[in-house]
Amino acid sequence: MGLNIEVHGLKLAYGAQPVLEDTTFTVERGDSVALLGANGAGKSTLLRCISRILKPTAGHILLDDQEIARLDSKEAARMMAVVPQETAADFDFSVEDIVMMGRFPYLKRFQKEDQDDREIVRRSMEMTGVTHLADRSIATLSGGEKQRVVMARAVCQQPQALLLDEPTANLDIGYQSMLLELAARLNREQKVTVIAAIHDINLAVHHFNRFILLAGGRVMAAGRAEEVITPENIQKSYGVPASTYRHPLHGVLQVSVVRGRNPDEKNNCGSEVHVIGGGEEAMPVFEMLNQSGCGLTVGPVSAQDSGCRFAHFHSLPVIIVPPFTSMNGAHRKEHLEQMRNADLVVVPPIPFGEGNLPIFDEVRVILKEGKPVYIIDLDGVEKRDYSGKARSLLEQMIQEGAVVLKSVEDLKAVITPGGGEQNE
Amino acid sequence: MGGLVLLILLAMVGAMVFGAVSIGWKNVFIILIDTLPFASLSAGIEISPTHEDILLQIRLPRVLLAAAVGSSLAVSGAVFQGLFRNPMADPYVIGISSGAALGAVFAMLSGFSLAVGGFGAVPLFAFGGGIGTILVVYNMARVGQAVPVMTLLLAGIAASAFLSALVSLLTYFAGEKLHMVVFWMMGGLGGATWQQVQVMVPYALAGYICVSLFSRELNAMLLGEETASHLGVNTERVKKILLTGSSLLVAAAVSTSGIIGFVGLVVPHFVRLVAGPDHRFLLPASALLGGALLIATDTLARVVIAPSELPVGIITSLIGAPIFVYLLKKRKQLRYFGGGG
Repeated sequence: MGLNIEVHGLKLAYGAQPVLEDTTFTVERGDSVALLGANGAGKSTLLRCISRILKPTAGHILLDDQEIARLDSKEAARMMAVVPQETAADFDFSVEDIVMMGRFPYLKRFQKEDQDDREIVRRSMEMTGVTHLADRSIATLSGGEKQRVVMARAVCQQPQALLLDEPTANLDIGYQSMLLELAARLNREQKVTVIAAIHDINLAVHHFNRFILLAGGRVMAAGRAEEVITPENIQKSYGVPASTYRHPLHGVLQVSVVRGRNPDEKNNCGSEVHVIGGGEEAMPVFEMLNQSGCGLTVGPVSAQDSGCRFAHFHSLPVIIVPPFTSMNGAHRKEHLEQMRNADLVVVPPIPFGEGNLPIFDEVRVILKEGKPVYIIDLDGVEKRDYSGKARSLLEQMIQEGAVVLKSVEDLKAVITPGGGEQNE
Repeated sequence: MGGLVLLILLAMVGAMVFGAVSIGWKNVFIILIDTLPFASLSAGIEISPTHEDILLQIRLPRVLLAAAVGSSLAVSGAVFQGLFRNPMADPYVIGISSGAALGAVFAMLSGFSLAVGGFGAVPLFAFGGGIGTILVVYNMARVGQAVPVMTLLLAGIAASAFLSALVSLLTYFAGEKLHMVVFWMMGGLGGATWQQVQVMVPYALAGYICVSLFSRELNAMLLGEETASHLGVNTERVKKILLTGSSLLVAAAVSTSGIIGFVGLVVPHFVRLVAGPDHRFLLPASALLGGALLIATDTLARVVIAPSELPVGIITSLIGAPIFVYLLKKRKQLRYFGGGG
């Protein structure tokens, strides 16, 4: 089982608009490949060429070294099955009828479906979990059920390659992963070669082991997730700034689009703000300040911290300390300078531990010098305190003039001119 | 299916019994069996030779012709509806009827006394007009090697409108032949002859066999052309074959009996409502029901104002439409068929 698919130098244009330009790649027997790319990158067109709906004007597509254009229709359908984005199904065929149509390429003109065919239909429905729908009319099913029936039909075709064209585009997240998991299972258990055009990169990385990124009808990158899904590639092909990170539970690569500063944002705050520390709960503070157009400095954070990544992404000045160490004298001096240069200093909801408590010696120094200091979310400090000393320290700072704010929204009111009371 | 066979046989017998002259059903059987070689039942019963003539020379060919025409229309209607995935499609949707009408009206008005193999100019021109139209429409819709069904449908509608305008124009100048033209366009089976049966039946059979061989492909085409192609259907070839088969059916039907509406549109829907969209059942069932319906309505057309006749198209619509609406209401949902696609 499994099919080797070779695509070489494909060219195709809709009118004057070229869609595929010298598209070339190879999918090895038993690979499961996600075809990524922006709208209009040529993903669907490419799949429609492979499934023989469209004829490219130049180039070759070989299935196990056989030119697809030379294959007989039924022969091709025995090799490849297709799951499209949506199937018209408003008529009264039963689910079993629809799945049985997957046997079409195996039946001769006067041949009736026999026991073997019915057995294959039964197994296909079982595998895709639609057995209980067998007698239902396809027209009465939900989108997710319908897609599983179409999948059952594809399984029933006993193909060596499975092409999926945006199969999850209209499904909820439960059905999305269920459908892709079915494809992955066919790939694992029966070594079926799988190629799927897919929009959702973060979904794709869970279910596929190879990736092809198309841009302007050309293959921009191909290979493992780490080789293909990089911020640079995403920026080039989708035209949006993106950052990648590891999924906290599964460790697979994830992509997220990053908002830059909105140039139309009216409430430019105009002041320089220094934010202390990082951690996930501090991120909304970073994002808000950056969006509001403040000058932003970050520190001290460790290199793996999300605050550090944020600072790097937006090219902000940042003080980085090695993880699992306390700060040395040079770092503390640099930090003090950074705070002195800022108009105000913010203590976001960060975790407190023995490692970062010394930072607050310097904070108290500048507090005495009259620099405004804002502490966000004093009430939640116990949940984030691993030293047992944070509350008393913060309360001491409040006595020395630090201001407590409930949430990031209150901070926004403070830094926005006219939006809230300016301290001092 | 057995019920439908019984239905069409009953309709045939009924059609032979009733008429301006009533022939008892026993006599009908006796006459029919008598005509078979090596069989004789007439012993003891006197059969009037007039009755025998009426039955064998007038009613029997008419019944057979009605069966052939009704089946052809119903089957081609089913094929066009499936092919276009459009419940509005009927045998005339891509302009065959308009082409045939133009040919027929032209022949009537020009008064050609052409006759080939015993056929007058009107059926010959009608057949030619119908087939000519479908060829033109097909080539208008063709994009390279492929013929997208939606383009075909639209090209057919455009051609149909154009040809109908020409027919109206000719009708306007028809003068004393107006009655003849209008009557032809209403459709009817009056004056059916054995010769017509001999020509029509082979056409109907050939066309039917041609399309029914591709029932399974037609089922797949209902899921959309691309899906059918993914399942291994050579869609372009299948389309050509189905179009050829059903066009022959329609052209033959129209040229022998004029434009009989409703049968081709409604009979397939009727069958689908009751038995689902599987063409392996739909096509033979439509053939039987279409045949039975046209025989029955044609009998009514002969009887209601006997010895004169109504055009059969009037009867089919008058009776068929209310029954169809009743069925629709009863089923409530019209979800047995995809919309325009």
